[in-house]
Amino acid sequence: MQSSGSKRRGAAEDRLDAAFQALGDRTRRALLARLAAGPAMVTELAKPFDMSLPAVSRHIRVLETAGLIARSVEGRVHQCSLAAGPLQSVEAWLGHYRRFWEGNLDALARFVEAEGGEPRTRPRSRHGR
Amino acid sequence: MAADATRPGAATPMGTLVVRRTIRAPAARLFAAWTQPAQLKQWWGPESVVCVDAQIDLRVGGRYRIANRLPDGNILWIAGVFEVIETPHRLVYTWALEPIAGPPERVTVQFKAQGQSTEVIVTHEGIPSVPIRERHELGWQGCLDGLAKFLQSGAGGA
Repeated sequence: MQSSGSKRRGAAEDRLDAAFQALGDRTRRALLARLAAGPAMVTELAKPFDMSLPAVSRHIRVLETAGLIARSVEGRVHQCSLAAGPLQSVEAWLGHYRRFWEGNLDALARFVEAEGGEPRTRPRSRHGR
Repeated sequence: MAADATRPGAATPMGTLVVRRTIRAPAARLFAAWTQPAQLKQWWGPESVVCVDAQIDLRVGGRYRIANRLPDGNILWIAGVFEVIETPHRLVYTWALEPIAGPPERVTVQFKAQGQSTEVIVTHEGIPSVPIRERHELGWQGCLDGLAKFLQSGAGGA
């Protein structure tokens, strides 16, 4: 199976890689969960964690690089907020699998329920092929 | 019952997908439909996919291969090895698309009796973020788009 004309979509995939990598850490997921409730300053974000401010800052930087959060600076105050874009592409990618499995389970349901003496699902369009 | 998959934002590890469906049939019936090639071939695949071959060696360490004919005519093989077989409650097997090599994904299928019905729970783990492009080029994307259309048309919501 050769590449059928589609050009490298490297940038989009790099972003997805970065998003998955950033999400593969419970501290960073906790930071995102906190930011889902609203923007917060870095010092506020660090408070619940039993780690140094620089350590938390490193996690924040990973999230920022992955585009999962945005940071605004006013004077010396760094405020972070959630950026939804990459999360949506992660969700979209999982969505392909979800649709596959949902379609597959629908097909299974049609198969066994039609056979089970209660053929009340719609006629099958697959003609057993 | 609309397939109520994981809610976005639920505490599911990344790269893992859970899809559930309650089907009016006993667990043993569904287990057989899932594991016997002659039966599997009759239903496997979302609407735009036709299962043209299935080989299933149903024992721990046994292999399976399922041939999926995509709308563009290409055949996509899904293959793997059974890791757990608990008739008729649970199956665990690895999952890989051939001829693409990659870290194996893992599928767990549970059949939970609920009165006259059975809840089928598919847990697909290890969903990679990398080989998207390759998969798209195999036509998987087209097939899934077809599937999405099918589901949105209401045909899948019976």
